[in-house]
Amino acid sequence: MVSAARRTAQWLVGHRARLRWVYEVLGGALLMPYFLVTLIIWETLGVPAVSRSPLLLQFAAYLLALPLVAATAFVPPVRPLEAAAAHMLLGVEVAPGPGLSWSSRWRAAVWYVLHLAIGTLVAGASLAVPPAAALLIVPPLIGRPPRMSANGAVIDLSGAAGWAPLIGLALLVGLVVLAAVGGTGLAWLAGVLLRPTVRERLANLEQRAAQLAERNRLARELHDSVGHALSVVTIQAGAAGRVLSRDPEFARQALAAVEKTARDALTDLDHVLGLLREEPAGTAPQPTLADLDRLLDRTRSTGIEVDSRIAAEAAGVPAVVSREAYRIVQEGLTNVLRHAGPVPVFLRVGLCGQRLEVELTNPVAGAGPARPPDRGRRGLVGVAERVAALHGQVTAGPDGHGHWRLAVEIPL
Amino acid sequence: MTGRAPEPDPSGGEPDQRGMVRILIADDEPLVRTGLRVILDGEEDLTVVGEAAAGAEVLQLVRRLDPDLVLMDVRMPGVDGIQATSHILATLAHPPRILVVTTFENDDYVYQALCAGAQGFLLKRTPPEDILAAVRLVARGDSLLFPAAIRNLAIRHGARRDRIAGTLTEREAEVLRLMATGLSNAEIAGRLYVAVETVKTHVSNVLAKLGARDRIQAVIIAYESGFVAGGG
Repeated sequence: MVSAARRTAQWLVGHRARLRWVYEVLGGALLMPYFLVTLIIWETLGVPAVSRSPLLLQFAAYLLALPLVAATAFVPPVRPLEAAAAHMLLGVEVAPGPGLSWSSRWRAAVWYVLHLAIGTLVAGASLAVPPAAALLIVPPLIGRPPRMSANGAVIDLSGAAGWAPLIGLALLVGLVVLAAVGGTGLAWLAGVLLRPTVRERLANLEQRAAQLAERNRLARELHDSVGHALSVVTIQAGAAGRVLSRDPEFARQALAAVEKTARDALTDLDHVLGLLREEPAGTAPQPTLADLDRLLDRTRSTGIEVDSRIAAEAAGVPAVVSREAYRIVQEGLTNVLRHAGPVPVFLRVGLCGQRLEVELTNPVAGAGPARPPDRGRRGLVGVAERVAALHGQVTAGPDGHGHWRLAVEIPL
Repeated sequence: MTGRAPEPDPSGGEPDQRGMVRILIADDEPLVRTGLRVILDGEEDLTVVGEAAAGAEVLQLVRRLDPDLVLMDVRMPGVDGIQATSHILATLAHPPRILVVTTFENDDYVYQALCAGAQGFLLKRTPPEDILAAVRLVARGDSLLFPAAIRNLAIRHGARRDRIAGTLTEREAEVLRLMATGLSNAEIAGRLYVAVETVKTHVSNVLAKLGARDRIQAVIIAYESGFVAGGG
């Protein structure tokens, strides 16, 4: 029994209930601009019949304000704002970010209207009930007749003096119950209207899985390339140690090769670790062609000369193409650095008819041993997969003039 | 140090009369080739007769140079070390011994290469003295290189084969178990108090009954079938 009473009290005025009350009052506050706009329109039109009854006028304005609310409910920031507030104050799990599908936009809009509608009723009651209750309870206690005021009209209740304090208490209890019921109802509705859909959950998971796979791939490539470099270093150093006095010339060459291999491996390590670190931690937006300048600046800061020609229209390609094109350029640059070292790179991004073209060329490293082409091809597997997914074409290889060329075409 | 090997395909893969082991290096990385060449050429009983920079060149060079042993990189552009190994073993009547060279020990390619018929594998980070010892061991061909690593690889790849039928005699089974621990024929002979020639006969019978090309294949079959327990 005691615990049931405690649970009821908790539900009516507990911490969670008070937060939900705040959320409801917030809804009332949000309705105010719409409400005022409605009143202004009303006054302008000069509808006389209702103006004689202020309470009825207010209810009518409230009802007429709701379509205005609905009209603005589709504004993109509404959903994340409402979701954040619902999460904090109502304590429900909600989908973050703007709704992607029309279904989630609709549900968010319905939610916004319901929040403001229910919130306004509770907020109005919260403002009106306490003074009314005070007028019913206090005067009889000090020997004066109870009164009730509504919109300036004072009603004399001296005939019901004995009941007045009880009615006042009942009004206060009613307010608390109304707020609790409203808050509970809103929390339940939020679960229905703001919770991430299965599709949204799937999309989030897929995005996360893709990011992990990408990181995995980068890590594997790093493992391969650093392992390869360390093997070379070990064998060359071991050989040099054995023939140091017999063949000092070989030993000298071996030391030079060790130095160069180790340095290249460190550059590679640095670059790939930079890419891994740059991966967004959560749901940060994926970079697009619009972010290309920053990528190129970063690349230049590693000592690579980048000459780029990026068509202005490239910014207007569909988002998915833009994101993938960014990744393709990024992988292409990584590949150049890995296999040719810090050589000058020429990048061209342009539109040709209904195709996006990305072209990356660099001179094939002259000095030192050329890395085998297959390692290059493995680095380009990611590019090939992206291009294939977009029904595009990719060619990569020497162009016959001492350059390595990566050319990608993606239909729009 | 020579003498007929017990394997069914003794071959031109045997070192010549003076005991000089003729080696072909196949690796796409020139720095690995030159390093290995310098290490091997410094030895009186070893000589590098050629280098291949790609898997596709290996078969031609093996035909032309007739090496005793090929140091085969697993990962090469085009035809990789596994394909080159199978190719050589399928094409030549007297193939050289093949020692796979790799960067990583836990590399699936290593196991595939061993299954394809390579006699052993060598990590590129192995110190020069051990590289030389491994080359001599595989050239001699009567014991396993890195038996523990082969056991781990075979166990990781699971018991996919049927159990070995009870065709082995007790003595042959004993010999197979000792082969799996990496003992040479002479060491097995010492263990079992029999003549080396007798061990060679047992080994030949084991290989024939298991349908194995050489002792490493026999040992892989033994592990995969659960005939030899992996735990110890």
